[in-house]
Amino acid sequence: MSAGDLGGAALRAALFLSLWGTLAAVYAAWRRDARVLQSARLAAGVVLGLLLVAAVSMMFALATHDFSILYVAENNARETPLFYSIISLWAALEGSILLWTTILAGATAFVAFRGTLAIPRLATTALAVMFAMLTFFLLLVATPAADPFARLVPAPDNGNGPNALLQNHPLMALHPPLLYLGYVLTSVPFAYAIASLIIGEGGDRWLVATRRFALISWGLLGVGIVAGAWWSYAVLGWGGYWAWDPVENAAIMPWLTSTAYLHSVMVEEKRRLLRSWNLALVIATFALTILGTFLTRSGVVNSVHSFSLSAIGPLLLGYLVAILVLSVGLLLWRSARLRDAGPIGTPLSREAIFLFQNVLFMAATLTVLLGTLYPLVAEAISGAQLSIGGPYFDRIEVPLALALLFLMGVGPQLPWHGASRATLERQFTAPIVAAAGGAVAALITGTTALAALLTYALGGFVLATVVQEFVRGVRARRALHGESSLAALANLFRRSGRRYGGYVVHVGIVLVALAIATSQARTVDAEKTLAPGETVELAGYTVRLDAVRAVSEPQRDSIVADLAVSGNGASDHLRPALVQYPNSAQAVGSPGIGAGLRDDLYTILAAYDQRTLSWATIRVRVIPGVSWLWLGGAVVGIGALIAGLPASRRRAVRMAVAEAAAPAE
Amino acid sequence: MLERIGARRVLLIAALAVAVLVGTVAATNLQSATIYYLTPSEAKARNIPSKQIIRLGGQVKAETLKTSFGSPGQATFTFVITDGVEDVFVIADGAIPGILREGAGAVVEGSYLPDGTFHADQVIAKHDEVYTAPTAGATPLHRTGFP
Repeated sequence: MSAGDLGGAALRAALFLSLWGTLAAVYAAWRRDARVLQSARLAAGVVLGLLLVAAVSMMFALATHDFSILYVAENNARETPLFYSIISLWAALEGSILLWTTILAGATAFVAFRGTLAIPRLATTALAVMFAMLTFFLLLVATPAADPFARLVPAPDNGNGPNALLQNHPLMALHPPLLYLGYVLTSVPFAYAIASLIIGEGGDRWLVATRRFALISWGLLGVGIVAGAWWSYAVLGWGGYWAWDPVENAAIMPWLTSTAYLHSVMVEEKRRLLRSWNLALVIATFALTILGTFLTRSGVVNSVHSFSLSAIGPLLLGYLVAILVLSVGLLLWRSARLRDAGPIGTPLSREAIFLFQNVLFMAATLTVLLGTLYPLVAEAISGAQLSIGGPYFDRIEVPLALALLFLMGVGPQLPWHGASRATLERQFTAPIVAAAGGAVAALITGTTALAALLTYALGGFVLATVVQEFVRGVRARRALHGESSLAALANLFRRSGRRYGGYVVHVGIVLVALAIATSQARTVDAEKTLAPGETVELAGYTVRLDAVRAVSEPQRDSIVADLAVSGNGASDHLRPALVQYPNSAQAVGSPGIGAGLRDDLYTILAAYDQRTLSWATIRVRVIPGVSWLWLGGAVVGIGALIAGLPASRRRAVRMAVAEAAAPAE
Repeated sequence: MLERIGARRVLLIAALAVAVLVGTVAATNLQSATIYYLTPSEAKARNIPSKQIIRLGGQVKAETLKTSFGSPGQATFTFVITDGVEDVFVIADGAIPGILREGAGAVVEGSYLPDGTFHADQVIAKHDEVYTAPTAGATPLHRTGFP
């Protein structure tokens, strides 16, 4: 039995089991039947097992170059190195959907085995929703729509090889799975939200039960987006990291609504306000992940016309419409039960700032959505292909981001209900001084562009509020418990992980903002055609071309420029290259990057003497502070971990114990 | 209580103000940021005025890709982009980028000069997931590359 037969059979079996699981979970939720629930649980576990078998079969087929499978023939070649063979699981449509489905099966199994222990009826209904979604994706992979194991007869001697861009950098192993995990895990809060609407539960148990999932999927999405920016920077060879490409927009939109949700959810927990709003945000986040998949996977982004050529496009669009109609219908039907528990505080209360922050996040999401969908609508109506340039997004999103940065400093410093004048003075004196300090720092480093200057000032402002919070927290613990400063700090994270983890996230966001502002404001370029031994100078660096070489590897041919870098204390060798893969008409630029905390030296081999390799045109770009973008992304991830993991695990255990002790609902 | 209701109203007005402001800025910006993506034939039919930024997609015509040195260190390169029907003469600054090949698909972003020559500000690599040979009369798929 070949890997293809095994994988295909596993998918078909999973489809039938998932159908059974859907029906069983619906019945179990409706009749509160524990035995049928047990059967649904078992189904969830077996479906996960079958999908792991399918995913591993595909990886095995890729690693062993089994070209009797169409996907392998299209995305793999005998020369492809093992590492890139295995990660080609997510190199194209069918494999990506298989990975997506596998993660969704994992989330479904989690809800089945852990969720239903905590709050049986709500979680069983949520399990039915999870199963229904899983069944849809299994329909895609177990039928010709996106069948990863479709056969190719006769099997060719060699395959096409992966897309040149996807086999040129190891970050490809990290970025798509992180994004997919982030995308797919948003389905858990969604399923619980829908479940709470279906059973008409007015409370916020759905929200408490899925807080960890919301936070972790948000963190993964954020880290995945930064990893994508890094990949774009290290692979595409244009010296930038964000181009407002539809694929990027598709990833950032659910992150924006999800960020809004993580904040407004606190308003519901603390003040019992914004109930319908939070449900709407969870639904919007999930719908945007499906929209993103639709945009990137149906080919509709390249041209409206390619949409009709893909089998999966109309199916995904139908799925998206069904989800929106169902969710909005449920929300309207249950709106009477979702009354808020009181009025909102004064404009200078934390809930008001959170609300205002939500308005700004919505504005950002909708304007990105407009800029992303407008070309599609315009092409569908007028037939003209067009794109919306980066300036549209920059002009709108940069001011919104600055306003959000400001609110990020203000919100946590204000009490719920409202602040007095004395509170305002106590909370904001130091941060305002720090903001002035940030502005001075910007001017000293020569960062004079207005947006960058404001980012430095606001960055100082927010960092000061965070430092102030930590200092006060540590002092309080020292005074109360007599702990050392270090122990007090550790206990802040352990006992109030959500709050202090959140502050760590804020620090990460400030680092990202500062990195973007610095790199956008102060990047310098040079381009020069060099013979070996000649140099080009830029911003204190001297780059000398030592040689231009042709390098042949089994899977590719490259032209490599050997560069020696000196100046600014650096002594480095960089090797920008132009890489030619056999399956691609054009060569792929592979930049040589000397990364540093102060600045990156980014070199590109733009052109070379094709006859005698006697000269090369080198583009040099000095990009200050860009490394802090990736570091900031890592800090965001760490903060999300602190906020998401330990405290909630304790809470989950407590909840499970309480539920087990109490009789059934 | 009265103060509380007032607060809610203040927030509502602020939210509406943001919505109107952002909506206006978005609507006006959308027009100016629109970049049409055309074949040489379409560009001719639409009579694109000089200075308007557009993207022009087609194939690099065989044996037209040339470097010319105007003044020392100031290289420019020229080529003809074609959709099989119309030809457009393209001029761009710098050395010929390694990603540009005669006979292969290319997308250039820039504007027409008054004499009908196209000045490319950037040459965009054509990278799509599954490679397909460019077809005459159609613009190749693309993703933004080096600016």
